[in-house]
Amino acid sequence: MSRFAELLDDFFYRPDEDVAGLQDFAAGSDGTQASAPEEVPEEYLAFRLEGECYAVPIRVVREISKVPPLTEIPRAEGQLLGVMNLRGELLPVYDIKVRLRLAERPPVVAGPEAPPPPRDARILVLRTESGPAGVWVDNVMGVVKLKPSMLEVAPPGLRTSDRDCVVGIGRRGPTLYILLDSEQALAS
Amino acid sequence: MSPGSKALAEFVAEATEILDALGKDLLVLDERRGQEADPELVNGIFRAAHSLKGLSGLFGQERLSRLAHGTEDLLDRLRLGRLRLDDTALDSLIEVLDAFQALLAEAARGAESESLTRRVEDMTARLARLGSPSVSAEEDPLDRLELDPQVRSVFTEYEEHRLRENVRRGVSLWRVRAAFDLSDFDKGLADLNARLKPLGEVISTLPSARPGGAHGIAFDLIFGAQASGEQLEAGLKGTPAELSPLVVHPATHAAAQALVRAAEPATVRASMGRVEAPEAAPSAPAKRGGKKKGARAASRGDAAQAQQPLLPAPGETGASHGADSTSAAPAPHDALVPVALPEIHPVADGEHVAPGILPVAYLPVGGAAQRVRAVISDPPAGPGAPPTGVAPGRPEGDTSLRSLTQTVRVDIGRLDGLINMVGELLLIKANLQRLAESARQDGTVALSKLFGQELARETRGLERKLEALQEGLLEARMVPVGQVFDKLARLVRRITREAGKEIEFVIGGGEVELDKLIVEELSDPLMHLIRNAIDHGVESPDARLAAGKPRRAVVALRAEQKGNHVLIEVSDDGAGIDEQRVREVALTRGLITFAQAQEMSRREMLNLIFLPGFSTARSVSELSGRGVGLDVVKNNLGNLSGIIDVWSERGKGTAFNLTLPVTLAIIRALVVGVSGRTYAVPLNSVLEILSVQPKDIRTVERREVLDLRGQTLPFMRLARMFALPERPVSRYFVVVVGLAQERLGIAVDELHGQQDIVTKPLGGRLQSVRGISGATDLGNRRTVLVLDVAALLEEGMALERRRA
Repeated sequence: MSRFAELLDDFFYRPDEDVAGLQDFAAGSDGTQASAPEEVPEEYLAFRLEGECYAVPIRVVREISKVPPLTEIPRAEGQLLGVMNLRGELLPVYDIKVRLRLAERPPVVAGPEAPPPPRDARILVLRTESGPAGVWVDNVMGVVKLKPSMLEVAPPGLRTSDRDCVVGIGRRGPTLYILLDSEQALAS
Repeated sequence: MSPGSKALAEFVAEATEILDALGKDLLVLDERRGQEADPELVNGIFRAAHSLKGLSGLFGQERLSRLAHGTEDLLDRLRLGRLRLDDTALDSLIEVLDAFQALLAEAARGAESESLTRRVEDMTARLARLGSPSVSAEEDPLDRLELDPQVRSVFTEYEEHRLRENVRRGVSLWRVRAAFDLSDFDKGLADLNARLKPLGEVISTLPSARPGGAHGIAFDLIFGAQASGEQLEAGLKGTPAELSPLVVHPATHAAAQALVRAAEPATVRASMGRVEAPEAAPSAPAKRGGKKKGARAASRGDAAQAQQPLLPAPGETGASHGADSTSAAPAPHDALVPVALPEIHPVADGEHVAPGILPVAYLPVGGAAQRVRAVISDPPAGPGAPPTGVAPGRPEGDTSLRSLTQTVRVDIGRLDGLINMVGELLLIKANLQRLAESARQDGTVALSKLFGQELARETRGLERKLEALQEGLLEARMVPVGQVFDKLARLVRRITREAGKEIEFVIGGGEVELDKLIVEELSDPLMHLIRNAIDHGVESPDARLAAGKPRRAVVALRAEQKGNHVLIEVSDDGAGIDEQRVREVALTRGLITFAQAQEMSRREMLNLIFLPGFSTARSVSELSGRGVGLDVVKNNLGNLSGIIDVWSERGKGTAFNLTLPVTLAIIRALVVGVSGRTYAVPLNSVLEILSVQPKDIRTVERREVLDLRGQTLPFMRLARMFALPERPVSRYFVVVVGLAQERLGIAVDELHGQQDIVTKPLGGRLQSVRGISGATDLGNRRTVLVLDVAALLEEGMALERRRA
């Protein structure tokens, strides 16, 4: 691909990862286990934060976007990383690592001092009660289907102190998914 | 949006439209108080109330529907002449309109307050009781009209009433008979109606007794003419209409006495209005009618008269009579000429009287300024007129004038234009896609110059189309400020009454267009200013006379477009503001120090009225001038990036000048850089830009200020305010911003130039962010924040006050 074509690619924005495609992919891999009819599996979007696996119900995810240049909001609360422009729509982008005690302070990702974002980093655009909001994730793993029997309540030790962002644990094979309540995680 | 709330929104939008129309008609009636009401207008209001009733019923709005029903009843009685449209009735109607607005506001909120329900019930009951019976002649004037009872029986009550009215007034009545082809009779009839309208009143349209041919249909239009027969003929040229006058017998003696009284002023005016040889006049229409009929009869070869059951007096006799002499006119049955009140005034035949007793004397509609008179007479006019005008429990007149609906009506042509533009954009997109595809397929092959040129051409086209689209969309958002002015005009009437003053309210420039959003936000500040002008600015009539001014004060509201801004002026010719009193009040309230007061110019003192905390309820009565919550007005305007200024001269009056941007959606902005970040400052609040060396910055009591042409300018470093890493610079650019009365210098590192930007609000989650009003795109998907100048000013001032 020529350099020019790349430039054009940049110019024409394309959502590179379509959730719908992932869903199809996940549905195919899951065909064998859908034997018990009374157990309706729910779909979750799994992603990584500082190496840990987290998941949110897929219905709260509106879309997944590459990290565009973010603009910092002066004097904003710490967990607000900045605003992004998604096809003309202005969206706030939040950090949830501090709330989950995965990091001491939010990363500097906006403004002239910010380094270019890591290749795999994505913004999940979540539907929340107060409008859409972006959440920075280190990478998106894919869609997992979890049946009610695969879910556990979060062990008390795992709970983050002030807010119950973690609603439970999903276990699927060897992997553990920490299930998040997006409203709580984004509450200011 | 749920289906329920969508339906509600539609209901509110539609009801608002009906109320707007109703309000406009009422205003016209109000302006022509004391004159005979235009039946067309009353009927229009009746229909509006009727549609409102239906609409509210449909949407289950019980209270609205009930009140509308009561109003409809009242209007029905009015238009049928069972009730006279006196001041009491008119006041009640205006009051009902207010109640409708309040009800609709509650409906929009989904609320239902007890007090309003009670108020509506009282009002409905009052409407039902309302009424002074109309002056009715002892004898039914309709009996004097020679009309087939069969025809008369098919009239609706309203038509019969109108006909009776016309006979009573002695308007010349004509039957206009027209035959149309069945295939397009509706068009022909509409055309005929349109032609007749300016000439008088179409009282009824009936199917004609005469067959209209194999493929035709004929109609008889009963028409009360305001114009002479000749004018009528001329107006109907080219239509298949045939004219024939209807005969009205002279009134019997008893009724004639009443008519004398009724018609006296009219006849005087009629004789003044037209100078024409009286002998010739009455015969003219008759002859014409006769000739015409004769001609037609000859050409058709059938007896036209036989088929005119409505016209017992044959045309030929009339014609010969007319030719004979005018002295024959008083004799009943003889005159074919529409004879009105012959024994009162022999000269005043139909065509002479008609112009004099137009039911409505239309006010000349001025081109530039529309005048609304609101003269207040002392309320209790007589024992028969209970003072219903001022209802007990009427809420204060400070309800918001903001419309309840968010809808903008857009001309379909404009939308079509936009759609066309989108179509062209799609074409450009296809071209660009093709170019992208070919670039991809060529792979590493060096791109030709031709390719580059083609791409450049397409992007230029894209740019042009996008600009046009932007412009088109902005235009679609524009509405005339007159929308608000009309509402204010209604309000003025009420405030004037409450204040007991005589006001002439002058409106100008209602056609100037502003963004819908701004027009909406403007209504409350304007209401406030006008209220102030009437309550405090204008003196009482006696005081005015004593000061050698005309008794009636003038309050004016004018709009004018100047480039990208609209100037709106609210002025009065009242007593003006006493700046010394303003100074005293500001001193006693501790808003300024004595030292500050010492060195204040007159203008600065006047501007003290905009300070928050300047006005309290107590100061209203204390202060001869004004000052009710002007800080609120200033704030509202600040939110619209508007500036307010005041001019006042003792004894001459006061004027508030509001400067507003035409639109908020697209603004011109100054792009500045601070610590490597980029921000946009709305250019309409930028006064000037200075280049300042760090050594020029002074400190006064540890706050930084600049010396700007001998005046102290508060100064603020944006980097420091926003807690950004400050970079050492050799000189600052200071953007001097001003909103309303305040000035502030904002220091930035770089200036990047000016640009038109489309601001987007920060949205729900970011509402609490201070100092930023929105964000915009400067291309390249990079988001740039737009500074909220009003908030920064406020912050800067607060900082200053705290330090001071």
